[in-house]
Amino acid sequence: MLFDTTQLALERAISGASTRQEALAANIANADTPGYRRVDVDFHGALAAAMGSSDRRSALERTGFSPSVDKSVGAMRADGSTVDMDSEQAKLAANALDQQAAVQVAASRIQILKMAIGGGA
Amino acid sequence: MSMFGGLEISASGLTAQRLRMDVTAENLANAQTTKGADGQPYRRKEVVLREVGQGGFGAALTAAMGSGSKARPGGVEVAEIATDQTAGKMVYDPSHPDANAQGYVQMPNVDTVTEMVDLIDSSRAYEANVTAMQASKQMFTKTLDLLK
Repeated sequence: MLFDTTQLALERAISGASTRQEALAANIANADTPGYRRVDVDFHGALAAAMGSSDRRSALERTGFSPSVDKSVGAMRADGSTVDMDSEQAKLAANALDQQAAVQVAASRIQILKMAIGGGA
Repeated sequence: MSMFGGLEISASGLTAQRLRMDVTAENLANAQTTKGADGQPYRRKEVVLREVGQGGFGAALTAAMGSGSKARPGGVEVAEIATDQTAGKMVYDPSHPDANAQGYVQMPNVDTVTEMVDLIDSSRAYEANVTAMQASKQMFTKTLDLLK
C-alpha cells in the first residue's frame, strides 16, 4: 500500500479540523442568538481512540466527525447564549494551527515518497 | 460535506450583523421622529436572531431525538425585526405641532446611548465573523497546497 496509517491519520486530522472549523464559525456567527448553545468537535479524542484500537486502518477509515453541543459551559450572557467570544477566537486560532501542522507533516511525507519514487533525483 | 461550509456560516453571520447595524442606524435616524406613517411617534426596532435550522421541523426532530449531536452546525439568520412597544418620553413643548392639549409631545422610545452600544456590539461581532472567515480561507488554501 502506498500510504500507511500515519498518512491516513493525518488526512483524518485535516478533515476533523475542517469540521471543527465549521462548528467554531457557527458559534461565532450565533454569538448574539438568544439561548444558543455552543457546539464543538472532539476530533483529537476520536482520532486517539482510533489509533489505540487493534486494527488502526479500518478504525481510522470508519472515524467520522460530527459536532455536538458543549454541555460543560453555562450561560455566558443574560440571553442564555453559551458563547464566550474570546475563547471561541482562541480555539479558532488553535484549530487553524492544528490543521496547518497536519498539512505540513502530510506534505513533507508526500515529498519524501516522491523522492523515493524518483530515486533521489 | 461542502468544502466551503465554514465560509458560508461566517457569511451568514456577516449578513445578520450588517442588518443589525442597518436597523440601529434607522433607530438613530428616527430618534426625533414624532409622526410616522401611522401618525404615531416612531418606535424603535430590534433584530431577533436565531440559528439556521432551528425553526420548525428540524428543531422539533432534534428535541424529540434528545441527542446532543447535530448533523451540521448551522449559521445564523434573522428570525424577525421586532418593534419595541415600550412608551417613549413625554417632552413639554407647546409650540410643537404634535403637542397634545397639555402641551406635551410624545417622543419616540429611542435611547441614543442604547443604540450606540448596539452599534459597537454589532460592529465587533462583524469583525469576529471576518476573522473566522479568514481562518477558514487560510485553512482551505493550506489544504490545497498539498496538491502542489
